[in-house]
Amino acid sequence: MDIRAQVSMVFHLDKCIGCHTCSIACKNIWTDRKGVEYQWWNNVETKPGTGYPGKWEDQDIYKGGWERGDDGKIHLKGAGKGKGLANIFHNPYLPSVEDYYEPFTYNYLNLIEAPPGDDQPTARPVSLITGEPMDVQMGPNWDDDLSGTPDYARNDPNLKKLSPAEQEAMFQLERMAFFYLPRICNHCLNPGCVASCPSGAIYKRGEDGVVLINQEVCRAWRMCVTACPYKKSYYNWHSGKSEKCILCYPRMEAGYAPACMHSCVGRIRYLGVMLYDADKIEKTASMPENELINAHLDIIQDPFDPEVIAAAKKNGVPDSTIKAAQNSPTYKFVKEWGMALPLHAEFRTLPMLFYVPPLLPVMASVTETDGAQKSKLNPIAKTWTDNWLYDTSTEELWGTIEQSRFPLKYMASMFTAGDEKAMAERLKKLMAVRIYRRWKTVGDIDEAKVNQVLKDTHLTKDECESIYYLTSLAKFNDRFVVPPAHREQAIEMLEFTGDVKGSTGFGFRQKPERGM
Amino acid sequence: MNLKTLWRTLVAGAALALVFSLDVGSAQAAGGDQKFNSVCAGCHSIGGGKRVGPDLKGVTDRRSEAWLLKFIKSSQTMINSGDPDAVKVFNEYNKTPMPDMAQFSEADIKEILEYIKGGGGGGAAPVMAPATPAEIKLGGELFQGIVRLKNGGAACNSCHHVTNDAVIGGGVLAKDLTEVFTRVGGTGVGAILGKPPFPVMEAAYKDAPITPEESRALVGFLQDVDKKRAMQTPKDYGNQLVLGGTGMFIVLMGLYSFAWRRRKPGPVNQAIFDRQVKSQ
Repeated sequence: MDIRAQVSMVFHLDKCIGCHTCSIACKNIWTDRKGVEYQWWNNVETKPGTGYPGKWEDQDIYKGGWERGDDGKIHLKGAGKGKGLANIFHNPYLPSVEDYYEPFTYNYLNLIEAPPGDDQPTARPVSLITGEPMDVQMGPNWDDDLSGTPDYARNDPNLKKLSPAEQEAMFQLERMAFFYLPRICNHCLNPGCVASCPSGAIYKRGEDGVVLINQEVCRAWRMCVTACPYKKSYYNWHSGKSEKCILCYPRMEAGYAPACMHSCVGRIRYLGVMLYDADKIEKTASMPENELINAHLDIIQDPFDPEVIAAAKKNGVPDSTIKAAQNSPTYKFVKEWGMALPLHAEFRTLPMLFYVPPLLPVMASVTETDGAQKSKLNPIAKTWTDNWLYDTSTEELWGTIEQSRFPLKYMASMFTAGDEKAMAERLKKLMAVRIYRRWKTVGDIDEAKVNQVLKDTHLTKDECESIYYLTSLAKFNDRFVVPPAHREQAIEMLEFTGDVKGSTGFGFRQKPERGM
Repeated sequence: MNLKTLWRTLVAGAALALVFSLDVGSAQAAGGDQKFNSVCAGCHSIGGGKRVGPDLKGVTDRRSEAWLLKFIKSSQTMINSGDPDAVKVFNEYNKTPMPDMAQFSEADIKEILEYIKGGGGGGAAPVMAPATPAEIKLGGELFQGIVRLKNGGAACNSCHHVTNDAVIGGGVLAKDLTEVFTRVGGTGVGAILGKPPFPVMEAAYKDAPITPEESRALVGFLQDVDKKRAMQTPKDYGNQLVLGGTGMFIVLMGLYSFAWRRRKPGPVNQAIFDRQVKSQ
């Protein structure tokens, strides 16, 4: 057992309102410099949609991530030693700037400085790359909220697995739904970017697993851009180095949550340490596709297990980090309750950002009724002239999940590498907590039914309360359990502090002299 | 500035530099022969034919001593004043001005003229012992930089070209040296190598002088080149080089498009961009 600590994240998609505050917080801190204008280390995508950069999930185009060979071993799909060397001067699968979008600003000064003329002065868009006037072709969220559906949402790579009839069903006007998918670097356990770098510039920090690019060592081969299946490593065209999300490690070292998480309006983000067994990484990443999800979750170890704690201590994981792991909200969501799932586990990078899948569009259905229920409503209630019903009832316990507006197949393609059963299990748990809370607060559901629901989902009432608390009421320190950074230990790894004892620090090294 | 003017300026500057760089004191002390060989022989011969300037054999009979004295002291003054003979010579020799010989006193010039009158001490330019084949070979190697110059100077073919099948062609920054031996003769070449009169060459070899042995080898080589120039058959690649390059380019492009045939062909949203209304 080789127990290491990893800072992991959980994003609760049911709570995301798609406000992009996280993206703005990140951009203002990290990517408002020349050369990185187009980079959004944090971005929020609408699903279904093609995302940013366009169709990033389609590895037939971008060749990101790992693939399992016939020998059962994994190889990088578009990079690595052989392929990297063969393509070292021409990396053929790179996204171009058009796939992200050409960053632009407007010539605002023209509005007040234009000479007198026949026409109103305008602020023309100007490229932030060339400085020339340009036609804006695309922005980072051109397909936000399903805009341009025929071009974007319809081309969602996840739809490939759905039959044409199923796809049509998704895009019926009455059934159309979407949810938001905020994305940052996953700080994977088996990162493709690290494996692909010919310069060895990318590394995974030992103490918390944050994946970083050393700007001194990076030589702009851009293999990481190809190798990352999530396209979360970006090339800075000005500095000639690649950059990526650093999980705000300077903030974390000071005990703060990363900026995107701190600023999240919907409070959808959770951050905490998890302990994992590094010996199992290769085996886990090489699992057949249908076993990937379970293997991925199995690599995360119980922070209360004395054996795990002993192994962690032997590896130099500080007690404070182990304690943080025991309080970790992410461990609860991912392991204890089994509600959160990694995004696209089939890329085999073992991402450590997990998503609680969205239930809301799943739950409701639109049916035509005889209008009888209208008579039960208060006279001042707003009603419609037709008899369509937006049905959120829980009469049929699990029926709505199978008939959901997002086909299970679509969700499974994103979160469980195609395993619909595992997907349904998570959605049922989400629903179970709702049914339980409805029973508790509204009281219009039979307790026997609640017990049946909990039995089906292997949850207890206490667990439901905890899930409810962490989902809806959690305070700042419940959502973010940042482990102390122990910078003093990092220094001790580099030099023996005894060497400088008595010769640095406060006080005078020589006696102060006064006078001339 | 056209090339001709440039060349003229270079030669004039070169001659001036040559003149001033010579040890004036020793020239005065020595007789007319030494003065002639150290200064005048770079451009003139006595019965050896035209070089940069005219053959001076019998010049004392053709022109009066007064005229010669005046011309040697400052040829340009004479030309400007419209002396018909001076203008004629000037035009005949590509309007290359002869530098003013301010360092020579009248007596010095007379000594030199005496020497010319005497037929150059033997009638012709001083004869060098013919170079041995080994020296010619060494000269060729020095010229191409196969053997380094002892003091680390740049190989001749960095700037100069000679038409010779045994030698890879050289640069085009300076004069083609195929016929240099005919132009300035062995003494002239030796003088130029010993104390380069051209500003660029002077600067290049200032801290890396060519040794007398090397100079001898190079002169021998250049003489050999000059002698054999009619028999050389330099290969003219003509359009073959362009055509070959184009052909190879096409082959390489084909190879690359095959090797990278599965590359990402363009932006994934190109179809959308094509549809968009452009401002121009």
